[in-house]
Amino acid sequence: MPDDAPAVLTTPAGQGATGALATFAVYILAVFALAYLSGRMLKGRSFLGEYFLGSRSLGMWAFALTFAATSASGGSFMGFPSLVYTHGWVLALWIGSYLVVPIFTMGLLAKRINQIARRTGAITIPDVVRDRFESPTIGVLATLVIVVFMAINLIAQFKGGSIVVQALLEGSPLYESAKNHVAHALAGGESGVVIPFLGTADAGYLIALCLFAVVVVVYTAYGGFRAVVWTDVMQGFVMVAGVVIMLPVALWAVGGLGRATKSLNEMTPPLRVMLEIRTAAAVAEPLVIPNNSWLVVDHGKEGRSVFRTASRAMIDRGQSLARRRVDSGSADDAAHIPGIQITYADHIRTAKPTELAEPVEVAVVEEKPLAYGQNVRGTYVTGPGPHATRAAGFLPLGLAFSFFFMWTFSGAGQPSSMVRLMAFQGSGTLRRAIVTVAIYFSLIYFPIVIIFCCARVLMPGWETQSDRIMPEMAKGLMQWMHSPWLAGLLLAAPFAAVMSTVDSFLLMISSALVRDVYQRNFNPRASDKTIKRLTYTVTLTVGALAVIATIHPPAYLQDVVVYTTSGLSVCFLAPVALALYWPRVNKAGAIAGMVAGLVTHTAMYGIGFAISIYHGQPLEPILLADLDPFLVGLAASVAGSVIVTLITPPPPEHLVKKFFHAPSE
Amino acid sequence: MNKNNNDHKTPWDPVFLHARREAVVILVLFTVCFAWSMCVCYFFGYLAPGEERPHAATVLGMPAWAFWGILVPWLAVDAFTIWFCFFFMKDDDLGVAHEGEDLAEQIEHDRASEGKSRDA
Repeated sequence: MPDDAPAVLTTPAGQGATGALATFAVYILAVFALAYLSGRMLKGRSFLGEYFLGSRSLGMWAFALTFAATSASGGSFMGFPSLVYTHGWVLALWIGSYLVVPIFTMGLLAKRINQIARRTGAITIPDVVRDRFESPTIGVLATLVIVVFMAINLIAQFKGGSIVVQALLEGSPLYESAKNHVAHALAGGESGVVIPFLGTADAGYLIALCLFAVVVVVYTAYGGFRAVVWTDVMQGFVMVAGVVIMLPVALWAVGGLGRATKSLNEMTPPLRVMLEIRTAAAVAEPLVIPNNSWLVVDHGKEGRSVFRTASRAMIDRGQSLARRRVDSGSADDAAHIPGIQITYADHIRTAKPTELAEPVEVAVVEEKPLAYGQNVRGTYVTGPGPHATRAAGFLPLGLAFSFFFMWTFSGAGQPSSMVRLMAFQGSGTLRRAIVTVAIYFSLIYFPIVIIFCCARVLMPGWETQSDRIMPEMAKGLMQWMHSPWLAGLLLAAPFAAVMSTVDSFLLMISSALVRDVYQRNFNPRASDKTIKRLTYTVTLTVGALAVIATIHPPAYLQDVVVYTTSGLSVCFLAPVALALYWPRVNKAGAIAGMVAGLVTHTAMYGIGFAISIYHGQPLEPILLADLDPFLVGLAASVAGSVIVTLITPPPPEHLVKKFFHAPSE
Repeated sequence: MNKNNNDHKTPWDPVFLHARREAVVILVLFTVCFAWSMCVCYFFGYLAPGEERPHAATVLGMPAWAFWGILVPWLAVDAFTIWFCFFFMKDDDLGVAHEGEDLAEQIEHDRASEGKSRDA
């Protein structure tokens, strides 16, 4: 290996698991303590106002960090690093609009939405639009959209949370032992009768899901909005600490950013392949080839070929050919094992083969070159970035355009963000919070691009399972630093990110059902006691239902989540913004805006998904002129609101007076 | 808008006017950032079809396009945000919370409707 090549980090299984477990335990205790304190604060206050809005009294730190932590979902710490690792520096442009997201999402609507919510006593976003237009219809429509879209999101976030917890605990003796016991029980124990529904689930995933769900559902249900906010504050600090610690260590390990970029310049993406793996003779005992195994074929003077498997495989007793095995242990009867072939010279030289019980022979039976960037040097430091199926690359100009708009406008239109804008104390708090969030995002997003560009150099071969790059990089760096205890803190960052999003979604759904459906439509005279009981019951029930749905998550869940997340913004942003700033807008216009945005956006996703399924391709929406459905849907929403408002009678004068004129003394 | 204002003979809510002015500045800021970042990144950071770039220009170790197109505007917007929040944005009184007012109005409205239907 030449002297100027950066070191390659490895992460043996179980490394850092004890530290992670200790951090996890401390973390859970702190979360429950905060929930307990929040629950105590409910006493002596208006239940709904305190439980769902923290009595509109959030100070600077609480408001800033709950806003930031809710925005930074699991995607920021799992999906985003995975994308940086897979596509390189172009992710700096993909996430580039976050430079303006804090001032945009908080500054654009905050003062007015907070003021109007105070003026009417609104507690939820459906409350705000219903009161602003004096229209139960628009309130019901808003509630329906929130409940359906957020429920889908909740399932995805629970799944994400469980995967994070699994990565956190993997390798710790306690977890491994529990996993074996649960797997045994699921398979029917001594009786051998497989438990229906649960029997086919992965034991490790199930334990992680239960742990995650119990913690989040219990503290959210008990403590309400204030518990969510306080835990968000703690989680916000954990997240930023994770990045701030990882950045210098990653740069140190790689030998400086210049050295990392130089390596990336020369690097070409690995080739996706299907492998045939066999032993020279039939094996006497079953031979397991774990997922992510390194396989090296030596060609003598002609060098070597390096492969990494992307699936677990096994050679059965008396056989010599490996067959693919899925995680639940059953064979899916495929003799071709998916994997990658490393194409970068430094990584080929330094790769160490995984030790297997018997030597194996490897043959490439199929090559699947990337649609863009396969043999292109410099593809990791330039746009549009390599992509497996899109010939125009990962981020062609039209998509770069769309993402720049989408992060900013979509962030501003999320009901979970809007509801936080109703909860801060006063405009002084708002001004300081915007600055805090701006600095906070600066410390997180651009550094993550740098860290995981370094990961490309330091930890090759994770294209096989790029979602795991964040925990693997954390473990690898801390092992390199000889500080495994720090790995626990770093691994807690993605956990915190998912948790802070899940609790908000859970509360949003609960508030929509209790306040917007029950109290506003069926029983406005309901007593505080009834509402309190109903709220706890609904929050726990929604949480439990989400857990059941997450045991076997629906197919295409992740694709549907992209649709629901942007769909919420398409539906709410234009009608709410116009309601706050345009006195002429009326309820017909607001309803038209919501429906037009929703229908356009849904049609583009629905048609695109149907075409993708028909052709057996990954799900993608249809694009108009390379523009994302979000942009087209938002344009339709604005047009729908404005046109319908202008062709229908103006709103009643008393509404304009109430919301746009100074209150009379 | 002025006509509307005169009709009511009460001044526009200052919070509405201030928030609207601030929203306009934010939208202009977004437009400037969008134009700058997209232009710099596209013209200096994108490969032409068939092009390879094994020796891309760097600044402080990162690709030059990412430095000028993303990092520099990011820091500039942070500075702008500090100015905007501390020297431009008005410290408005957002009012006291009328907790339960919307619900009380709804109950009153329902009661009136019930009364009317009984009379009919």
